[in-house]
Amino acid sequence: MGYLSEALGTAGRLIFTLDPEILEIVGRSLRISLTATSLASLVGIPLGFLIGSKDFQGKAIVIIIVHTLMALPTVVVGLLGYALLSRQAPLGFLELLFTPRAMVMGEFILSLPIITALTISAVQGVDRRAILTAQTLGAGKIWVAWTALMEVRYSLLAAVIAGFGRAASEVGSAMMLGGNIRFYTRTMTTAIALETSKGEFGFALALGLFLLLVVFSVNILLHLFQMRVRVR
Amino acid sequence: MMRSRTYPQFELQDIIQRFGKRKALQIPHLVLEGGEIYGFVGPNGSGKTTLLYIMNLLLRPTYGEVFFEGKPIYGDTGWRTSAQRKMTMVLQNPYLFNTTVEKNIEYPLKLRGLPKRERLGIVGDILDEVGLAGFEKRGASQLSGGETQLVALARALALSPRVLFLDEPTANVDAKRIHQLENIIAKVNRERSTTVVLTTHNLAQAYRIADRVFSLFEGRLVSPAMHNLFKGAIRTSPEATYFDTGKIRIQIPSEYKDSESGHASVNPDEIILSRKPFVSSARNTFAGVIIQISSGEGKVHLEINSGELFRVEITNQSFREMGLNLGSRVYLTFKATSVHIL
Repeated sequence: MGYLSEALGTAGRLIFTLDPEILEIVGRSLRISLTATSLASLVGIPLGFLIGSKDFQGKAIVIIIVHTLMALPTVVVGLLGYALLSRQAPLGFLELLFTPRAMVMGEFILSLPIITALTISAVQGVDRRAILTAQTLGAGKIWVAWTALMEVRYSLLAAVIAGFGRAASEVGSAMMLGGNIRFYTRTMTTAIALETSKGEFGFALALGLFLLLVVFSVNILLHLFQMRVRVR
Repeated sequence: MMRSRTYPQFELQDIIQRFGKRKALQIPHLVLEGGEIYGFVGPNGSGKTTLLYIMNLLLRPTYGEVFFEGKPIYGDTGWRTSAQRKMTMVLQNPYLFNTTVEKNIEYPLKLRGLPKRERLGIVGDILDEVGLAGFEKRGASQLSGGETQLVALARALALSPRVLFLDEPTANVDAKRIHQLENIIAKVNRERSTTVVLTTHNLAQAYRIADRVFSLFEGRLVSPAMHNLFKGAIRTSPEATYFDTGKIRIQIPSEYKDSESGHASVNPDEIILSRKPFVSSARNTFAGVIIQISSGEGKVHLEINSGELFRVEITNQSFREMGLNLGSRVYLTFKATSVHIL
């Protein structure tokens, strides 16, 4: 109970005092997770559309693999990334290890299966009449695809939100690929891990609450966007 | 340009559509002329919708070729795309995109690159035409079944298509809207010369709207349920009561009163065919020329042009004895009571 009241107090103080280091960590966390989510959406939505809308041999296996990858442990992604990016590794020459770019890559890999899988299921739910209607009105293949995606835009937004949630909350790959370097790769989740290891449970919990608040704000923005799309 | 005027709008040649092992449609030959209203009637599963999909080029038949304005569709990809842009279809259970009525009607115009101002002008006009003025900002999901059907029709009409396919256009519509929809279909055909091809369960509706009615049964075109069906109006004079088709006047029993428009049919079995006119109590005699001869079910079927196209059935023996050929001049005689007013 002590931790909880201390955490609430500290969280309140963090919000109201706007500690510059905390703000810097929050800014970096958002930049990395939003970049990773945007890239994963750019790849995952078209990929999900293709898998969901086309009939091909082995489709069921592909879907099972994508679903399995949704449960990919973050630490495994970190470990694989580390194995590929460390100095002696095949991609070591890129010198990406312990950089924000490496963290974006890790979070991209984690959110891609989620966005792809949820897009597949959204696309499979598109009313067949929507596609037929677009075709009868003269739409070519690209327009038909765009129309189908627009018909399930709320589900796609939910997919992007879920992907962002995964990217913003993971700690395993951020820690292993970013290294938790102060003023460079420290994010909210790696900071929480560090404070916990230092025994600063209250502060760590406060950062956790603050992280939730930040994700909550991003979700509000996305929902406002969704409502705007609904009206249009 | 000359080609498109010389050839029929649609010609289907040796069409077979299979779904798995099932033969859903088999049409050896079918010709549809431009500017007409065609009705296809038949029960569920008779192949009506499949036929519309094939003609609207949404479905490539398993075998056979579709000709549009004289050119084969599947021989030339470019022609297929340009033909497809001249036609559109309203589905049996129409789908409106999950947005406003305005955006739904704008959709096909946007695809064709029309500027916003022009698009909105067309949306306003077309909504007015279907009796839904002021519906622009309504959400598509808030509309009733009848309104949905009208918006889907408006969206199709916004394109000013040369051919409009309507799959069961009044299946999900209440009685009040049926009349309205039928009027719009007739008006579009009349004023814009749009060819309308519709399917329906309702035989009476098919004859009410369409210039020509085809029956489909188990994927094949079968003899229409009613032969010698004419569109026209009843006219009375002191001497007699007539059904006036605009081309010929058919005498009918005097109990009928004047009517604006309607249909009359003459049973092919009740028409007497002769090489020369003969005196009888029958009130109707028309001279004509044989333009088609076919046989089936132990009878010879003759198509005779005598102003209107009549179908007459005679026995093989009569056919032989009369020495009939294509182009033979004949006389059709039938009683006023053989005419059925619908």
